[in-house]
Amino acid sequence: MEREEIVLGNGAIAMGLVESGCRILTSYPGTPSSEILPEVVRRVKAEGLNTYIEWSTNEKVALDNAFAAAVAGKRSACCMKQVGLNVAADSLMSAAYIGNIGGLLIISCDDPGPHSSQTEQDTRFMARLAKVPVLDPADPQEAREMVKFGMDLSEEFQIPVVLRPAIRVCHARQNISPGPIKISEQKASFEKNPSRWAATPKFRLKLHGELNLKLKQIGERFSSARQFNFHNLEQGSHYTLGIVAGGVPSAVIRDILAEEGRDDIPLLKIGTPFPFPDALADEFASACDKLLVIEETDALIEYLLRDRNKVMGRLTGHVPEQGELVPEVIYGIMRRVLKDLGLKPFLKKEDRDVKELVNGLGLPVRRPSLCPGCPHRASFYAIRKASPKAIFTSDIGCYTLGLNLGGVDTCLDMGAAITMASGFYHAFSQDEKKQPIVATIGDSTFFHSGTAGLLNAVYNNARFVLVILDNEITAMTGMQPTPGIGIRADGTEARPISLERVTKGCGVDFVEVVDPYDLKGMNDTLKKAFAYTEAEDGGIAVIIARHPCVINNRENAIPERIRVRVTDDCTSCSFCLERFECPALYYDDDLGRVNVNRAICADCGLCIQVCPQNAIVEVKEL
Amino acid sequence: MGTTNIVLCGLGGQGILFMTRVLAEAALDRGLNLMCAETHGMAQRGGSVVSHLRIGDVKGSLVQEGTAHLVMALEENEGYRNLPFLAEGAGFYVNADSRRFPREGLVPFFEKKGIRFRSVDAGELAMEIGAPMSLNLALLGFFAAFGDGPLSHEEIRGTVGKITSSRLREINLRLFDAGFERGSAAAEGRGGQYGNE
Repeated sequence: MEREEIVLGNGAIAMGLVESGCRILTSYPGTPSSEILPEVVRRVKAEGLNTYIEWSTNEKVALDNAFAAAVAGKRSACCMKQVGLNVAADSLMSAAYIGNIGGLLIISCDDPGPHSSQTEQDTRFMARLAKVPVLDPADPQEAREMVKFGMDLSEEFQIPVVLRPAIRVCHARQNISPGPIKISEQKASFEKNPSRWAATPKFRLKLHGELNLKLKQIGERFSSARQFNFHNLEQGSHYTLGIVAGGVPSAVIRDILAEEGRDDIPLLKIGTPFPFPDALADEFASACDKLLVIEETDALIEYLLRDRNKVMGRLTGHVPEQGELVPEVIYGIMRRVLKDLGLKPFLKKEDRDVKELVNGLGLPVRRPSLCPGCPHRASFYAIRKASPKAIFTSDIGCYTLGLNLGGVDTCLDMGAAITMASGFYHAFSQDEKKQPIVATIGDSTFFHSGTAGLLNAVYNNARFVLVILDNEITAMTGMQPTPGIGIRADGTEARPISLERVTKGCGVDFVEVVDPYDLKGMNDTLKKAFAYTEAEDGGIAVIIARHPCVINNRENAIPERIRVRVTDDCTSCSFCLERFECPALYYDDDLGRVNVNRAICADCGLCIQVCPQNAIVEVKEL
Repeated sequence: MGTTNIVLCGLGGQGILFMTRVLAEAALDRGLNLMCAETHGMAQRGGSVVSHLRIGDVKGSLVQEGTAHLVMALEENEGYRNLPFLAEGAGFYVNADSRRFPREGLVPFFEKKGIRFRSVDAGELAMEIGAPMSLNLALLGFFAAFGDGPLSHEEIRGTVGKITSSRLREINLRLFDAGFERGSAAAEGRGGQYGNE
């Protein structure tokens, strides 16, 4: 036997995709989904497979592309984070009706917590809304099996299938054995059939009927899909309490019941929550007086069980309605329910003392912050300096951390830096109030959903300064290439898209490129830009603040290393700590002034330009 | 063999994922099953980072509070933040200035729960050897000296050598050995750089 590998959940999903014969893969990066595509690239290269893989500009673009490939008969997949599926929702809802020929698997990764997202939304509800099957894996190995099962199911029923791994699947690691790879020789073909591929409302009604029939058949199939849906009822036994769980919580509960030795509490584990495996659930429910439902992130199984008298869960207040269901939370839920029902209590007691002890230690609050040397820090510093009274609309990416520097006031969704800027402009200008507005958006986010908002703002004569923070990479999610840099997902060359040309093409006449490391130049350009937004014949001003990410491209980001030290001229005024907020600068209690943490300083030298006392100086002799 | 639950913690960039990987690969070489849970995304930008490693036949990747057999901290305050994970009789291994470890008021808690608390100045060791970013290896070597948990010193050291890139292998092993030497001295009562044993 080949040695097992320790595989990241997203790597296990990638294994499943390669093993399932997936030929087309599209994605837009987003935590916790980002590692799936690079892992597929790695495996495809290692196996010498002919698989088309792209980082798409956004999730809707990704899904449309994968859908078309599946219509042409190729097994296709598309991956994203859960809020990405909102962007792709238009595509998903319609694709459900039309259906596909080759398998189409949509992988949408959820983030209960949330650890790295705007919402805790539950992808299973999106699947229910679209009326497509959804699979909810408990661990990496099951995710990999579900990829293959989902691809087969999608192809058999000609319906898109959603896989919903939660973050504890995506970012778990498990030992897994490699398996055989399915080589799909299917050639692309397209049979014209306008009543399906371009269905008008009349045909849509017919397609909806067909979709409902498919779901009924798949629901029956799911009741017998015992590899993902199973229970441990003893034949003929009756129970006071049974637990129904899906996904990650089901794994936690299996561990807890095993450790506590509780054979008196049966578990129904549901890996395919929609269409609901009714027959299996009925069998389980009829053997239990009460059912405790524990699932992430919302209450889908709980709704679908449809028994008000038996079911306990989120809707009855037994399970918290927000936050991740980590093991100690699940343990607490189960402990309380055991008590309420008069059942034998758990072995472990709750230890409140240790929590109080830790709370009493006054441990430092660690907030994430922009890296030492990050060009965004320079941009935010300059923006705030140039217009302290402006409203700062911003967007999704590393640069959301500009809020630590007071440079970010709003963050709604991808592209909203621009659309909220125009919305604010119109709201204030209606009252004839001059309100400066600066929108900040990253290069990748601009390509994702910036242009539609910019076109709209230009056309409707909004006035604001738009700073595109161009660090030439998608940094937050782990350094994926953007359309601006000329590298594709597999490392081959691409035709780079120029931000200057795109913004000019959107109708903006003021487009200037600045290196934010030149704080004075950045400041001067910002002033010019503000003047332009206020001029009668002016308009929206775009500044492209271009400087490479210090993590992705350190050599070019810091071509000349400037080592700094703090002199005794430091008056501890805290200006640098608050307004520049570099993690390498800290207040040194022993020295009674600011000091530099050499272990993390990037030697960018920017803080020299920031200190009002000129107390940060270059160390000449290295 | 029963389950071993390990919580590894510190700050973004300190090498927690690598340290977790060493222990996981060593366990796999022994033929043991394992599950890990990692921190990715925004928290990696300088925030608190935690990874969980469970060795044994388990289903879930997260360690439940009160059930960790080992907590290893690359930063002292992050170690304290994760105290709720410690089970009775657990081992607590921390990169900290041994003269000031543990901070005031914690010894009664450790003694009540029978927790073995031990510290090594891994940051200083790493600085001395000229690889400040590899303090994770120094803590790992220190830990390996106590024979705590299912993996032996040889297994852990062998895995460090096996999975480190050739460029870093020599320096990583030097750091590991330096940490091991400190740990051995402490375990034998030389140097006294450890807690309550």
